[in-house]
Amino acid sequence: MNEPVVELDGITKRFGDVVANDRVELTVDRGSVHVLLGENGAGKTTLMNVLYGLYEPNEGEIRIDGTPREFDSPRDAIDAGIGMIHQHFMLVDPMTVADNVVLGNEPRSRLGFTVDREAAREAVTDLTARYGFDVEPDAVVEDLSVGVQQRVEILKALYRGADILILDEPTAVLTPQEVEELFDIFDELTDQGKTIIFITHKLGEALGVADAITVLRDGETVGTVDTSTTSKRELAELMVGREVLLDVEKPPSSPGDVGLEVSDLTVTDDRGVDQVSSLDFQIREGEVFGIAGVDGNGQSELVEAITGLDVPDEGRVYFDGADVTTDSRRDRIEQGMAYIPEDRQHRGLVMDFELLQNGLLGSQHDPDFAPGGRIDWATLRQHVEDIIADYDVRPPNPDATAKSLSGGNQQKLVAGREFERDPRVVVASHPTRGLDVGSVEFVQEKLVELRNEGKAVLLVSSKLDEVQQLSDRLGVMYEGAFTDVVDPDDVTEEQLGLLMAGQDADGVTSVPAGDFEAEAEVGR
Amino acid sequence: MAVARSREVTTMNRKAIALVVVAGVALAGLVSVAFFPAGSIAAVVAVVDANYLGAALRLTVPIAFAALGGIFAEKSGVINIGLEGLLIIAAFVGIATTYTVGGGQAAVWIGFAAAVLASTLFALLFAVVTIEFKADQIIAGLAVWLIALGLGPFTARVIWGTVNSPSVPTLNDWTVPVLSEIPWVGPVLFDANPTVYMLLVAVPLSWYALNRTAFGYRVRASGENPRALDTAGVNVSLVRYKSVLISGVFSGIGGAGLALGQVGQFIGSGQTMVGGRGWIGITAYLFGNYNPIATFGASFLFAALDALQIRIQQIPGLDLPGSLVRIVPFVIVIVVLALIGKTRLPSAAGEHYDSDED
Repeated sequence: MNEPVVELDGITKRFGDVVANDRVELTVDRGSVHVLLGENGAGKTTLMNVLYGLYEPNEGEIRIDGTPREFDSPRDAIDAGIGMIHQHFMLVDPMTVADNVVLGNEPRSRLGFTVDREAAREAVTDLTARYGFDVEPDAVVEDLSVGVQQRVEILKALYRGADILILDEPTAVLTPQEVEELFDIFDELTDQGKTIIFITHKLGEALGVADAITVLRDGETVGTVDTSTTSKRELAELMVGREVLLDVEKPPSSPGDVGLEVSDLTVTDDRGVDQVSSLDFQIREGEVFGIAGVDGNGQSELVEAITGLDVPDEGRVYFDGADVTTDSRRDRIEQGMAYIPEDRQHRGLVMDFELLQNGLLGSQHDPDFAPGGRIDWATLRQHVEDIIADYDVRPPNPDATAKSLSGGNQQKLVAGREFERDPRVVVASHPTRGLDVGSVEFVQEKLVELRNEGKAVLLVSSKLDEVQQLSDRLGVMYEGAFTDVVDPDDVTEEQLGLLMAGQDADGVTSVPAGDFEAEAEVGR
Repeated sequence: MAVARSREVTTMNRKAIALVVVAGVALAGLVSVAFFPAGSIAAVVAVVDANYLGAALRLTVPIAFAALGGIFAEKSGVINIGLEGLLIIAAFVGIATTYTVGGGQAAVWIGFAAAVLASTLFALLFAVVTIEFKADQIIAGLAVWLIALGLGPFTARVIWGTVNSPSVPTLNDWTVPVLSEIPWVGPVLFDANPTVYMLLVAVPLSWYALNRTAFGYRVRASGENPRALDTAGVNVSLVRYKSVLISGVFSGIGGAGLALGQVGQFIGSGQTMVGGRGWIGITAYLFGNYNPIATFGASFLFAALDALQIRIQQIPGLDLPGSLVRIVPFVIVIVVLALIGKTRLPSAAGEHYDSDED
């Protein structure tokens, strides 16, 4: 068992002045699942891209089965038996599973021009039978669920003869059940002698599936630990370099009036298909309403209808009892709606703008910052410097461009800008997606703080632990509607997983989605 | 914005509406004929004979070849809107070479080869600019057209003193013995210009190449998700170069087919003799949803309208404006694209691919 198959020795990779990997050491044993754990920007993906031949290291040596190797391109790595499953799938959507699997290594017939589709289909069937997957070779990729698409990616690597599989954050897009299935596939693969390198920043997964865990921080190896002798707390500390609060402190909620109400809301897409169908719920001031669900079940459309980026086809949106369904973004901002968009790089920030200019976005009509239509740069600079200080944005330079910041710092700037407008309603869509543990902690604490100050908070997230910890009530969304609204403290991850897949979960107690009118009347 | 009503309009309904509208538009020009003097309807019907179909097929050649070339380029992710320019270059070089060599069918074939070569070189230039130097594909494509539009007539004036060339011989029709005796089909398919035969071979060949060969797989992958192709160890740029060069070769055959297969002269005034056939080729492959066979059908439809228009002009007493009939293909395409919306552009069409960026 303890036979090293991959050895990375003193790998250093620089991009200009930035050192992404600094003398990293990694030894992976044959037939094991080896987790590469670290925060975003710790250099995990860079290291694996070096191993896969996408980047050439500046220093260091790669040894496969004890033999030093140099990879100029993925082709070399593939030839050495390495396969990589990227975070963003490398699939051609309109083509079939079999066509995708053989792409680049097509079995040929007739003078070598024609693809032997029968052979391609057989190759897929053989592989699925051997490793116990369930994938239909003739299915078109775009019709498949994300979990199955991921299996197609694994098949691609296996078809190319990979013995060492690198998976880059493979669980980010999966339901808990799909994650379980993926881990079962890991077992099957390692039983048959394959080696798996699994990149993640999720501690629970690392502990659940790994034989050994190597932690990276700031491009350096912090250490390799044996799974059986470590804990979440120790791993978190290794990752961040200081003690981390894994659980957010949250006092009991004392909800007040209804702050945000969505009534019979229906949103259709361009093809006329319902993305949100007849959704009803209310959020009271001083509570966090969480929405859990697999991405693409209508969460984005719901958020767009609430924030005014899209007009719903049917139904109303109320804000403090006032109908805002057709109000513009500007109206909603001025009425006190803060919004953390799910895609901060496209909707939250202008990447080529400086932090200073980004801090103005949404407030460009505010007489404080733009009296008479001319921007008061001095006031703005003071405001942005305050945000940078209060929200610990690094580097603390208002003249840096947004794109020069890490994801976590970009998000802190967006959060600061939105929250400092003193909103009454906060809509946060995947606020901690892709953030490192430290930034996650910060953003989550801020959201709880806003709730404690009596704001109505809508939190949409596909991270179960996050919605479970932060929410006071939790709606589980599937195909545009709630399968159930539950008390987050009274539900297990397994039950949530079933609800997210649109199934019934036994033994779950539902809580009301809304109808707080009477109470609210009294409150007024 | 989706409205409640649109949910009731199913895809089937949409297609039905689109077909009705297309049929209506296609007939619009003809319907107006009914208001013309008696006997004109009979005269219009009379022009639709085997001769007419043969003429329509000949007119299909430049449109369909440009369209086939466009399919390869765009499927690989490079939108080549310079097809019109490639046709012009091919037409001019074909005529000029044949004129210079002089005399006989051999000269015409040499001109033909030169035309294809010239168009391919232009396509190579376009490929280098867009793939290597990552220029905007639309702007570079427009440049190809504008350069050809200026260069053709200008050089014609240098050689012949006028933008129009003298007449040169054209390619002789090939008659297949026996088969050409079949009524209707015979004269259309088996007594035709060599370029028509080339087209009839190129259409199924293109379909096969795109859908059944490894090269076709790579072309499609390159236009849909180039990174998938790159990580599979295939050179994306090389696939795109080959595809754009194919569009050059095909456009070359199309332009030469127009100049040396039919007209026998370079006409450089106005939009030149090509007269928008490259643009119609683009609409044809969009209408055909990148399927070579459907694209051939669309090209034939447009060519048939063009041929009809020419014939109707010749009917005495009928005064139907040709420019009106010539807009019909474009109207059809807009209606079809708007109502069916079925044409699916390759996801990465128009995007540069850089394997270094992450």
